[in-house]
Amino acid sequence: MSKEVFNQISPSEFFYRNRDLAGFSNPTRSLYTAVREFVENGLDACDQQGILPDIHLRIEAMDPEKPDPKPYILTVKDNGPGMDSKQIPLAFGTVLYGSKFGLKQARGMFGLGATMAILYGQITTNKPVTVSSSVDGKTMHEYTMMLDIQKNKPVIMKHKPTDTAKKGLNVSITLDGDYSKAGSKIRDYVYQTSLITPYATITFDDPKGEKFQYKRIVDTMPPAPTIIRPHPHGVDVETIRRMIADTHYQVPVLDNAMIEKVKKELGLSKKNLNFEGIMARAEKKWSSLSRPVRVIVAVMSFLNMDFDKIMKIRLEDIDLIHKRLSYYDFGDAKLVTLEMPKSNPYYKQLANTVQGDSLITFLTKRFQRIGQATAIKFSEFANLKAEKRIGSFTNEELVQLSDSLQKYEDFLTPDPSCLAPLGEEPLRKGMLQFFKPDFLEVYQRSASAYSGFPFVIEMGIAYGGNIPPGKMTVYRFANRIPLLYDEGSDVVLKVVNETDWNRYKVKNESPVVIVSHICSTRIPYKTVGKENVADREEIEKELRLALQYLSRKLATYMSKRGLAEIEKKRANLYLKYLPLIAQFSTELAGKNKEPDYKKVIKDLNNVQVEEQ
Amino acid sequence: MSKSKSSKAEKVATAKRDSLLGLLKSQGAQIYNDLDKGKFPQFSVPSRSVSNIVYDKKLRQYVLGNTASLRSSRNMSQLRSFTQLMWLAFFANRLVHEKKSSTLRDVYYSSQAFEVEFEDQPESDNIIVDLEAVLARPREDFHIFPEERSSVFGDLTIEYTVPGYEGKRTNLSDHPDGYLIGPSLSSAELVDTSAELVIAIEKGGLFTRFIEEKVDKKFKAIIVDTAGQAPRATRYLLKRLHEQMKLPVVILTDGDVYGEHIAMVIKSGSANAAHLRELTVPDAKWVGVWASDIEKYKLPTIPMTESDIKRIYDLQKDPRYQEGIWKTELEIFLKIKRKAELEAFSKYGLTNITDIYLPQKLELAKSL
Repeated sequence: MSKEVFNQISPSEFFYRNRDLAGFSNPTRSLYTAVREFVENGLDACDQQGILPDIHLRIEAMDPEKPDPKPYILTVKDNGPGMDSKQIPLAFGTVLYGSKFGLKQARGMFGLGATMAILYGQITTNKPVTVSSSVDGKTMHEYTMMLDIQKNKPVIMKHKPTDTAKKGLNVSITLDGDYSKAGSKIRDYVYQTSLITPYATITFDDPKGEKFQYKRIVDTMPPAPTIIRPHPHGVDVETIRRMIADTHYQVPVLDNAMIEKVKKELGLSKKNLNFEGIMARAEKKWSSLSRPVRVIVAVMSFLNMDFDKIMKIRLEDIDLIHKRLSYYDFGDAKLVTLEMPKSNPYYKQLANTVQGDSLITFLTKRFQRIGQATAIKFSEFANLKAEKRIGSFTNEELVQLSDSLQKYEDFLTPDPSCLAPLGEEPLRKGMLQFFKPDFLEVYQRSASAYSGFPFVIEMGIAYGGNIPPGKMTVYRFANRIPLLYDEGSDVVLKVVNETDWNRYKVKNESPVVIVSHICSTRIPYKTVGKENVADREEIEKELRLALQYLSRKLATYMSKRGLAEIEKKRANLYLKYLPLIAQFSTELAGKNKEPDYKKVIKDLNNVQVEEQ
Repeated sequence: MSKSKSSKAEKVATAKRDSLLGLLKSQGAQIYNDLDKGKFPQFSVPSRSVSNIVYDKKLRQYVLGNTASLRSSRNMSQLRSFTQLMWLAFFANRLVHEKKSSTLRDVYYSSQAFEVEFEDQPESDNIIVDLEAVLARPREDFHIFPEERSSVFGDLTIEYTVPGYEGKRTNLSDHPDGYLIGPSLSSAELVDTSAELVIAIEKGGLFTRFIEEKVDKKFKAIIVDTAGQAPRATRYLLKRLHEQMKLPVVILTDGDVYGEHIAMVIKSGSANAAHLRELTVPDAKWVGVWASDIEKYKLPTIPMTESDIKRIYDLQKDPRYQEGIWKTELEIFLKIKRKAELEAFSKYGLTNITDIYLPQKLELAKSL
C-alpha cells in the first residue's frame, strides 16, 4: 500500500503556482500588472507620509532588437519615506510580509503584488531584484537579492550602502514582458493615474525612447485616511476569529520590542540565561510581571525555548479547545503544531489570557459604532451572554455572533474617516488641466455604506474644449486606481449608459468626459482581476445621484450654449442669404446696381435685442 | 416667312411670355425696393394647406381659398426658403428670357451653381409649386417640365414656336410611335385637324395597339397616352384640343379606383394643383373601364388590396364623387372588391377592345 505524502508549501510557492490570480498570466498582462504594483506602492508610501509624490517609471528592453515578448527592466523610483534597511530583505524577499493589514483606504491591499512581480520576474528571467532605499536622505542601502521560493526566504546577493541626497525607494526588476501589446494600456494607466493623482508628478520613460510626463497640478494633498476599527456589518466569521486572536494574544508578535520588554521585566536585559534559568527567574518574579510578559513566558514554557530560539518563530495559533499551539519556524521554514498538556502549570495562565475580554468589552473595544448600551442590546439580540469571555466561544457561538452582527440593524452607519477621497478642488483642477474643457463640474457625495464598508463617490463631468467628439469617455477609478479592463460589466458604465442623455441635451458624439472615483475600505470588485466594480445597490444609487446632479448642471450649460449657438447661427444665416436675395432681386427687377442691403444687416443687432 | 403668317401662334406665345416677365419683374422690383429701403422683404404665398383648398362648383375644380401666408426674410426659419423662392424666380426669369427649358431635376442641380442649397429634389419641387402659387402660373409657363412624358398620335397639324423651329409644321400622324408631349409641343400652335374626337388612354401598351388598329382613322380620333396619372402638359394639351379644336374628350382607364380618379383629374384637376387653372377639361367623359363593365363584359379580375379599398373610402368623401357614374361606380367597386385592367379584354382576342368594347362605349358616351 502506497502512502500519500502531504507536503506543506510556502506562501511563495503557493503564489508561484497560482500567479494567474494575481494578474501574472502572460507577458502582456504581467508587464502591466508589475507597473501598477510598483507605481501604486510608491504612491501609497508617499500618501501615508504626506509627501507630494514624485514617481519615475522606466521600462527598458534588455535587447531592443529582440521581438516581443522579451525581457524588460522595469524600474520605479519614488520620493517616499523609504524603507528601513533591515526591513528590505523581508519586505521584498518574502511573500505575505506587508504593512497594509490595517483597515483604511489604500491602493493595494496587502502589498502582495510587488513581491509577486519580483517572483514573476525571477522565474521568467532568473535575474535578481535590486532595491535601493534611503530613509534619511543621506545613506542609500542597495540590495540585490533573489527569492528562495520553497523556503519563502530572501537570498541576499549584494548589499552596499552609498551616499545619497534624496530619500525614497527605487525598485528594479527584470521580467518577461510584451510592450508592443501592453504599451497602450500602460500609457493609459499612467495618464489616468496622473488624472486622479493631480498632486503627483509622474514620469514614464518608455522602451521606445518616448517620455511621458504629467506634472503636479495641485500642491495640496488630500487628508490622509486614518486607520479605524471595523464596522460590525463588515466582518465575517474569519475576521472575528482573527480579531479574537488579536485580543487575547496581546503579545503574539514576538518582535524585538516584545522580547526586550520580557527581558527587562525579568531583569535579563543585559544577561542571557538558558531555558531553565528563564523559567526559574519567571517563577520568582511572577507576581510583578505584566500580563503580556506572563503570556510570553507561558509560551516559552510550552515550546521549551529560550530567547534565541523564540525570536526565530512566529506564533500562528493558540487553540484552547483542542489544546494545540502552532508556530511558524523561519529557520526551518515550516509550520509546527504542539499539544499543550493541561497539566503544565502555565496552561491556566495561557488559558485565561486566551479567553480574553468579555463579549461587551470585545465589542466596544474592537468595533466602531458600538458603545456600552448598544453592546448590551446587541448581546440580547444575539442571544449571547454579555459577560462571557470571547476566547471561550465555541465555533457555533462564533458563527452566531458573526451572523447577528450582520443582521442587527441598529448600528450607526460606518465611520468614513478611514476614506481618503481626492476632494472636489483637486479633481476639478486635474480635469481642468487634462481636458481644458468649456464646461466642468465636479461633485463629491457624502459618505454612504454597503455591508458595513463605508464609501464615497466623487464624480466630474467635462464638456468641449480639448475633448474630441465621439463616444462619451468614462474614466473609472477606485481608491485612486484607474480601472482599465472589463469596462463592459462595470456598475459605473451601467449607470452612465442607463442615463437618458437626451434629457440633458447631450447628443450622441458629444465631447463629454466623465470621471468617476469610488473610495472605500473595500471595493466590491466583480472579478479577481479587480477591474470592474459590482453593482451593489447602495453604490449604484450614490453613483446615480452624483451623475444626476452633474448632468443637470451640464444641461443648464448646454441650454445656454444652445442659445448662444442659435444667435450665432442666425447672424451667419442673414450674412449668407441677404446678399443672395439682393443679387437675385437686382437681376429680376432689371437694375444694374445692387440694393443697399447692408442697412438691413446693421439692423439685425437691434432685432435681436427686440426679440430677447 | 412673313410676319403676318407666323403671327398667330407667336403672338399668343409672346403675349403669355411678356405677361409672365412683367409679373416676375414687378415681384423682383418690390423685393429690391424693400431691401434698398432697409426693410426685410417678403412674399405673399397663397396657402396650399388642406384647409385652404376648396371645391369650386362653378369652375368644376379645386381652387385655393383666400388664405395666404407671408414668407419673410426677417424670420430666421423662413429665410432659407425665402432665398430659394427668390432664386427660383430669378432662374425662371432667365429661362424665359433665354427661351430655354429645364426639368424639375435640372432645377435641383442648377441651384447649386448659386450657393442656394436644396436638401433634395422634393424640397426644390415644393419651392417650384410655391412659385406657381405666387405667380398663379403653371411651371410649364416658366419652362420647367417634369421628367414624365406622355404621347399623342393622330391627324393634328401643329406649328412650333420654340427657337429654331419657329413656323415649322408637323402632322402628329407622321410617326407611328406617336409624339412626346414635351415643351415644344406644349408651346406649339394647334393648326388643323380632321379628327372629331380625342381618346385619352391610361396605358402605353393600349395606345400602341390603338395606333396599330388604326383607331385614329376608324373613329376619327386623336389618341393620347396619359401614361398613368396625366402630366400637366398632357392635361393642358387635352384642354386645348377641347377648347381650341372643339373636340370632345373621352377617357379610358383600368377598371379600378385609381383609373376612375385618373379620369377625374383630367376632368376637374387635382387638389395638388388647386392653385392653377387652365388644366381641366370639365366636359371630358370617362367611358370605362367601369366597375359595372367587369360583370357586363365578363372580364378576368384581380382582388382589390387594402389600399385600394381605403382609397375608395377616401374618394367617397370628395365632393366630386357625390353624383352620377362617379358615385355609382365607386359603390360597385366597393361591393365587388375586384378590379380589371384594360388588358383584360385580351382574353377575348387582341382586337376585342377596339372591335367591340370601344364602339359600344363611344356610342354610350354620346348619351353621358
